[in-house]
Amino acid sequence: MTAFLVIFESGLSLGAMYAAASIALSLVWGSIGMLNMALGAMLAIGGYASFALVEYLPVPWWLGFLASLGVGFIAGAVLYYVTVKWMYRVPTFDTSIVIATVGVAIVIENLLVKIFTAYAKKQPFLVDDGILMGSVTMRYQSLINLGIALVIMLILSWYLNRTRAGTAILAVAQDRDAAQLMGVPVERIFLLVMVIAGVIAAASGVLLTAVIPMSPYVGHEPLLKAFIICVIAGLGNLPAAFVASFVLGWFESAVSYGAGARYGFPAMLVLVIIVLLWKPYGVFGRRRVTRV
Amino acid sequence: MKLFPGMSNYVWAKYRTPAEKQLMNTPVEELAKKGLSRRDILKGAAVGGAGAIVASSATLAELNEGKAEGDPIPVGSALPFTGWGAHDAIEFRNGIEMAVDEINALGGVLGRPIEMHWEDTKNQSADEVVTAFNRLIDSKEVHAIINGYNIGPNNAEYEPVADAGILYLHHNTLLHHHDTVMSDPERYYSCFQTDPAEYWYGLGYIQFLSWLRDTGQWKPRNNRIALVSGSTPYSIVIVNAMNESAAEYGWEVAYGPEIVKTPTTEWGPTLAKVRAADPSAFANTHFPSQEIAQCQNQFMQDPIDSLTYYQFGAISAVFTDIAQENALGTTVATVIGQLQDEIGTTFENKYRELYGENSTPLVGCETYVSMYHWAMAAALAGGSGEPGDYDQNRKVAYRLQKLIYRSVVGSVNMHPEWQAGIPYPDYTNDPSLGQPHLFFQIQEVSPVRALVAPEPYNTGHFMIPSWFKDNGGLPQIGA
Repeated sequence: MTAFLVIFESGLSLGAMYAAASIALSLVWGSIGMLNMALGAMLAIGGYASFALVEYLPVPWWLGFLASLGVGFIAGAVLYYVTVKWMYRVPTFDTSIVIATVGVAIVIENLLVKIFTAYAKKQPFLVDDGILMGSVTMRYQSLINLGIALVIMLILSWYLNRTRAGTAILAVAQDRDAAQLMGVPVERIFLLVMVIAGVIAAASGVLLTAVIPMSPYVGHEPLLKAFIICVIAGLGNLPAAFVASFVLGWFESAVSYGAGARYGFPAMLVLVIIVLLWKPYGVFGRRRVTRV
Repeated sequence: MKLFPGMSNYVWAKYRTPAEKQLMNTPVEELAKKGLSRRDILKGAAVGGAGAIVASSATLAELNEGKAEGDPIPVGSALPFTGWGAHDAIEFRNGIEMAVDEINALGGVLGRPIEMHWEDTKNQSADEVVTAFNRLIDSKEVHAIINGYNIGPNNAEYEPVADAGILYLHHNTLLHHHDTVMSDPERYYSCFQTDPAEYWYGLGYIQFLSWLRDTGQWKPRNNRIALVSGSTPYSIVIVNAMNESAAEYGWEVAYGPEIVKTPTTEWGPTLAKVRAADPSAFANTHFPSQEIAQCQNQFMQDPIDSLTYYQFGAISAVFTDIAQENALGTTVATVIGQLQDEIGTTFENKYRELYGENSTPLVGCETYVSMYHWAMAAALAGGSGEPGDYDQNRKVAYRLQKLIYRSVVGSVNMHPEWQAGIPYPDYTNDPSLGQPHLFFQIQEVSPVRALVAPEPYNTGHFMIPSWFKDNGGLPQIGA
């Protein structure tokens, strides 16, 4: 029973962390076909924005969290105007944007080093305690992260499926040219997606840095894990990405507990290979058909 | 144990000039009678008698006869300013800057001021470090590179250093340094590790636990210990040394050595296994301060009466910044750290005055000492050499080898074959001939660490950690 509780608690903590990162990546990748390699840096921006506001102004932690969403909004818009606006019509957009966002990430991370140094910081948005379940302590922070990630996923799903703007995003995701012919302002939709992704990334950054000590490079590992989760879940499927985050979190924890901590991540990669051999478009993904 | 097994001067003897050889055989008193200056005598002493002198920072002032007004000597440092070791890199830079300011105020190196050049080694990979070294050597033409640590390249940076023949003093703290230097002493004559290798952390930890037990400062409820390590060779060498020496001192390794991947942020499964093993002591040799602070935080969610130890990383202020009260009682060690005696506290006070109360002089002292050590050796050798000036730099290396430097970290004494610091009490029982392997305990939420071992340098007393339910009637933190 103890082993089960340990794996459940640890997997929940990891899953909440992965879910927070994968939602923003999944949205942008699925809707505008952009693999945003600057996501890790945008996570860091969110974390540092909350930290700086609480530490230097100072404001309460909840206000710092909300203000970081505003910073994420701006970061998303800036990323759009620096990269996407000039590149989305280019035939090689899929690959060019990867290189461009890697460049942006390097710039952002170096700016954060200049401003805050690379000295690790503690996120003020942090609850240390937990609740005892049998012989295992369930961390409140994991539950908070789970709750906020779930709320973000639900709001985003509602927005995409129940609003005109969301429908327009889905239309662009299905067929950009057809959507434009139907009068959808594609350029504005791209901006909208980037801004939403920026806000989600900022919120995710605060959640992540409550679990991982904050540094300018804090987003590197979550970006890698989010990438894996999006591939397994299928592009653009937000609920699937959310569920996959926890499944992989529990899987990694189970392997770490059973076989040893160093085998958790390699085992996760083996699982990804097996899944992709079985379902090349992800467990919940569908084949994309390009009509000529 | 023999202090210098197989000691040999064959590498050095041929670099002595006839005048030096004469000085070696001339008593200091006779030199004084001949009207030689103190500088001449000090230079003579450096090569005289048993081949070593004990020096302090004041030695440099004695060697200089004027202000530092000559051509600057370019010296480099390649540190991980923007990678995971950035918090230590900042302290290493502070230590160097402080030493350079003092040395230049003392007249530099024989009248030539030191001019620093910096490079960033980011995450300390082989290409990042070697590129930084090449820039310092080719572009800045540095005479020496004074470094903190770059753990990633596994001595790849020795090659450009050996090609140029410049001096290289570092604190990589790797046993691999011994192997590289001893594999070709002629080629690597200028590479020095100014502290003992990481191996000594392992043996030293077991001896420390045993000392606490045997002196009654701690009453372990059983003889079980748990060992966890990061996945870098550095951490694994240490944990293996612990594992190999535990039984000899009466300890049973009940869990581990368990290797976790680097980086690691989720310690839940590993800590569950540690708790299940019910050890009296738990050692984690994973390195990054922020990640082991996270480990301690997660340990404290469901603590057991187990003494926690984090090798080196918990020295840094960032550990207590993140772990806060959870850190109280944790032990940590370093094979090089500033003492809390008169020399050490004078340094510490000045360092904190210059770099703030939250700075970590325990880390900054490393490069501070190395910079002085090199400057004194260069002054004793008659000056430093640029890249390609092999003869002059061999003289500097020779002085470094022979100079026992009583510094803020104790006695820095280079082993003649390893070209690395000799540790006390792990290797030599004489504190005047080795760098003390210092053990600290975190007893307050601040950058200050209580120095609890080894004798005679300890100024604090070990206390039972705050989370112990049974303190055995011994003094407990927070009780």
